[in-house]
Amino acid sequence: MFLRFISFIVFILSVVPGAREASCAEPRKPTEYEVKAAYIYNFAKFVEWPAGKSQVAGAPLNVCVVGRDSFGSALDAIEGKVVGGRKIQLRRNPPQQVPGGCAILFISGSESEQVGRIVANLDNSNVLTIGDTEGFAEKGVMINFFMEEKRVRFEINPRAAGRAGLRISSNLLKLARIVGSP
Amino acid sequence: MKRTLINMSAACCFCLLLTLFPGTVPAETEGVADEAMKDLTTLSPEELMRIEVATVYSASKFEQKVTEAPSSVTIVTADEIRKYGHRTLADILRSVRSFYLSYDRNYSYAGVRGFGRAGDYNSRILLLIDGHRVNDNIYDSAPLGTEFPLDVDLIERVEVIRGPGSSLYGNNAFFAVINVITRRGEELRGGEVSAAAGSFDTYKGRATYGERFTNGVEAFLSGSISDSNGDRLFFKEFDDPASNNGITEHTDYDRSYSTLAKLSLADFTLQGLYGTRTKGIPTASFGTDFNDPRNKTTDVWWFVDLKYERELANRWNVTGRLFYDVYDYRGKYIIDGVVNRDLGKGSWWGGELKGAAKLFDRHKLVVGAEYRDNLHQDQKNFDEDPFTLFVDDKRTSYLWALNVQDEVTIFSNLLLNAGVRYDRYSTFGSTTNPRLALIYTPIEMTTFKILYGSAFRAPNVYELYYDDGRDLRANPDLGPEKIKTYELIYEQYLGNNLRGTVTGFYYEIKDLISQVQETDADGNEFSIFRNIDEVKAKGVETELEGKWEGGLTGRASYSFQQARDSATDQTLANSPEHLVKVNVTVPLMRDKLFIGVEEQFASRRKTLAGNFAKSFFLTNLTLSSRNLLRNLELSASVYNLFDYAYGNLGGLEHLQDVIQQDGLTFRVKVGYRF
Repeated sequence: MFLRFISFIVFILSVVPGAREASCAEPRKPTEYEVKAAYIYNFAKFVEWPAGKSQVAGAPLNVCVVGRDSFGSALDAIEGKVVGGRKIQLRRNPPQQVPGGCAILFISGSESEQVGRIVANLDNSNVLTIGDTEGFAEKGVMINFFMEEKRVRFEINPRAAGRAGLRISSNLLKLARIVGSP
Repeated sequence: MKRTLINMSAACCFCLLLTLFPGTVPAETEGVADEAMKDLTTLSPEELMRIEVATVYSASKFEQKVTEAPSSVTIVTADEIRKYGHRTLADILRSVRSFYLSYDRNYSYAGVRGFGRAGDYNSRILLLIDGHRVNDNIYDSAPLGTEFPLDVDLIERVEVIRGPGSSLYGNNAFFAVINVITRRGEELRGGEVSAAAGSFDTYKGRATYGERFTNGVEAFLSGSISDSNGDRLFFKEFDDPASNNGITEHTDYDRSYSTLAKLSLADFTLQGLYGTRTKGIPTASFGTDFNDPRNKTTDVWWFVDLKYERELANRWNVTGRLFYDVYDYRGKYIIDGVVNRDLGKGSWWGGELKGAAKLFDRHKLVVGAEYRDNLHQDQKNFDEDPFTLFVDDKRTSYLWALNVQDEVTIFSNLLLNAGVRYDRYSTFGSTTNPRLALIYTPIEMTTFKILYGSAFRAPNVYELYYDDGRDLRANPDLGPEKIKTYELIYEQYLGNNLRGTVTGFYYEIKDLISQVQETDADGNEFSIFRNIDEVKAKGVETELEGKWEGGLTGRASYSFQQARDSATDQTLANSPEHLVKVNVTVPLMRDKLFIGVEEQFASRRKTLAGNFAKSFFLTNLTLSSRNLLRNLELSASVYNLFDYAYGNLGGLEHLQDVIQQDGLTFRVKVGYRF
């Protein structure tokens, strides 16, 4: 029994990684979440946070994810990158009460029941909220991804950003679909 | 015993195909391919907007909010399965509100909302794996225990949808639909091995590999093996020197293998599953010889499923599915020293087509069609020596169905969800099942739902045609069982951390298929299935779920349920009035070390003989850690911590009125990712 199991594992290990290498020669399309991660890095560059004690130069720029993390390893690509003198640091599922330590908060679709409350709790806390679920922008999430013909696009709720004291660059606004808000 | 050579080789071909395929897929030529090859973080937003991504997959895309679902839904995630040390799908369901499980030391049976017929092989629950129907085409059985052909480690989440689901899914969606969603290669991105050991010489191993390749192919492959010697048991019904004084050893063994393979490219997903389990029968059911380790059943499930999913430019989302399934049951029963074989072999293929669209902003329309062709529904029963054939029944049948569902936004806080499905069976004719739901959200944290629905369960070929010429007779005139349900749900968020639910339900069930004793003109007694029973069930359920910072989570539920036979006004057998469940996870070291505690209480249940199985109180404890050492996962569980002695009901095939369950058992588990 045990021997059969071992030989089974050996079979899997010997065959599958080979296939992985064989296919590496071809150009690959990035995944949806790799593109979203790159966008998030860009947002960090195009959004201006008000000066405050948590936003000082040199302090880490925390990118947080709440809910089910669909990024997998895609977000790792932006970890450690420096934006405006601040190093990006990832925090998955931070304590729910104080996502204030986050500069950017990605709210997963799994939290669609709570999104209104998460956003309401963040009022005036200078956190850039990002989602990728239909209807999130209308509920007060500042930037919301959507898919259009296999491309990742985004909508912006400028009023929500304004309330949190964030300034979104016009370079970003002109690319976005603008959404009104509660 | 005949080996399932054909099945095994088919599964192997599939593995081989999987490993060869990534290399043979032609490279896709894309205008932005060179852009994509660069580090994405060097690109500007303008450039990012031009990049075409591999298969569009938003976790949230087709997910419905739980509060907007037209039913009462519980979701159990992989994280909970791990933290509570669940070993089987039955373990998972045990923790779900209004479910209670019985184990007859061969199969596991789920009861829902006061209705749980021991011995019905869960034919009144629809089980899906990634949307693929699992219930077989002979007994309609839904495998929940170790017979479930998927390793629970491969589950991403389980969606438990209470209430009738026939308006969407047709047959078997009588009391609940359980959809098991498996993990994805993209999430895994590498390999995983796991080994577990537990009481009664139980060992389990698993190896899993998943990856998304550069050419867009996503692959997933996993194999599991499990072996248990089982307990030494005592049954007082056999306490006689002629039957080893009621003690049985080496008869409770349990062996299983399973393989899951998935391959996705662009809009297509090919999935194959193979699972087989052999279980010794320590209870001497069906009048078999006590303490004979040759008494056993083997259940083999396998299927291949090809799914196509595409979002069209005009906002229509189209899903198509083609599948081929095999179910193979072999029972070996020793009766007075004679080997009796009971066989069931089912195979079927079919297809589904579904279109979903948002129309005029206010409507979410879903239309679907399904066809299923039962190629084999064969039953056989014979004694080996001297050879005597009792049953040799071969059947084929088919069905088709159409369904439509519309979700209308009447006001921004009021949704109407209406659906209906028409099923046409070659066996009994047609049935139409509607569902209506009104979902009202007066303020963001409050939801009310009013639900009405009906469902059916078609008579299966075992009930229709199994005829051994002795004491079991066929009844080809059986019609479907029917249920009508009314339900009121109130969901309330309380502050930031709590969510409460209160549900009231009323069920009317008629034409239930039951086995009855009759006497023919010549005075011979026999058993036959008839559509005779009527049941009314009502109940109230409450649940409170909480989630706090640092990983403290929990849920607690209480269900009060009454299910009565309309003719006698007696409470049904195996119907506990009260169920209490508490699940709590406490972080001991942030993100690294957790303790999960489960408490389960069920009040007494009437047995088939009219006695009572006493109430029980179970405590399970799991200590689990992730990344305490890099990439290493460790857990230790104790089940039935206080060694509570309790029993479950078995079906009529058992001499035992109540079947003793496990006392204190343990399991340790190690996993490693690379």
